[in-house]
Amino acid sequence: MKVLLHDLKNIDLTNKADQVIVADGKYAPCQGCFKCWTKHPATCALKDSLQEMCRILGQADELTIITENYYGGYSPNVKRLLDRSIGTSTPMSTYRGGLMHHTLRYWKHDSLRVIVYGDIVEAEKETWRQMVKANSLNNGFTDYSVEFMNEWEGSVL
Amino acid sequence: MKTVFIDCSPKQRLSASGFVATFTRMFVFGRKVQCKLRTPKDFQPIFEEIKDADSIVFCMPLYVDGIPSHILPFLKEMENKFTNKNVYVIANNGFIEGRQNEPLMQNMENFCHRANLNWCGGLGIGGGVMMNVMRIMFCVVCALSLLQVVLNGFDFSLLKDSLDDALVILILCCGIISFDLWLAYCINNGKEYGKHYTRIMLPSFVFIVCADIFFTIISLFQGGIFRGWFSKKKPTM
Repeated sequence: MKVLLHDLKNIDLTNKADQVIVADGKYAPCQGCFKCWTKHPATCALKDSLQEMCRILGQADELTIITENYYGGYSPNVKRLLDRSIGTSTPMSTYRGGLMHHTLRYWKHDSLRVIVYGDIVEAEKETWRQMVKANSLNNGFTDYSVEFMNEWEGSVL
Repeated sequence: MKTVFIDCSPKQRLSASGFVATFTRMFVFGRKVQCKLRTPKDFQPIFEEIKDADSIVFCMPLYVDGIPSHILPFLKEMENKFTNKNVYVIANNGFIEGRQNEPLMQNMENFCHRANLNWCGGLGIGGGVMMNVMRIMFCVVCALSLLQVVLNGFDFSLLKDSLDDALVILILCCGIISFDLWLAYCINNGKEYGKHYTRIMLPSFVFIVCADIFFTIISLFQGGIFRGWFSKKKPTM
């Protein structure tokens, strides 16, 4: 399944993937309770549109994220969604890439593609490369890529 | 000299970030204030505190390899509000390797450059959850030992076993304590700290077993084990 997650306002990308998620920010941030692991697995304790988001991201073979640049990291709306989706993994731990990580609830995914738009300086690009590499390892993606653009260009999809 | 400690954990009580903020604060001199940053309502009171501060210490957990989402709007609003402030970061993550905090440290360094603040470095702590559990255990062990001593007519020889337990905890946390003291020294002297990573002093394969046991016990009590603990659940909404 191809999943597209983006924070673009007033741009319709409905037909660009099997499932398109708009990170509109109309949901609460993660409370760090771990109940999506320990109490009601793969279900967030907060009852809003992200309650079962991890189930969608967990089943993505190809995940594309379009995000505004925030200091070499995701925009608040996208990050809020990712923070609320740690139910894609289980509380058990293992080694991946020589580092400790949680075991995956679903399966290994094919590719993580991150498209970053906005004003980005060189140091932030370097941070992005490390960030996406770490995300890819953390979430069990086989392949990853990161692209930069000053303004959103629909032709990249 | 004034230092503002910002506890960036979304947890109301007993957070690891709140603990490292309080612990570091003990070794920092001058005026010091500790604030909790959980919701947008907290922004303005913290900005008021920062106005006349020399140093700001962000204490935060690592969420999905980066800064927790509720902190990002605060940082955006803080851009170009202040100048000539020293910024330090203490990050902690659940995994054993402290260096997994590196992308977060770079995010904060990038923020400082955009916000015209002095990036002075940060400390990344691996095994933050275990550190938090151990500090609670440390307090419980000390309280129980003192109670035992009092109930037995002030027989201080009973303290020996509990001192051993306390010593083990201190040894496991010796890296965190020493790197944190060094950070406090740099805050006191307005010096650059650089980026340093430390951890709970356990081999990772032992730590993984401890973490698995910890989550199994919690999941058993909260019932997650019986509700499809590892199941590949499909969306119902």
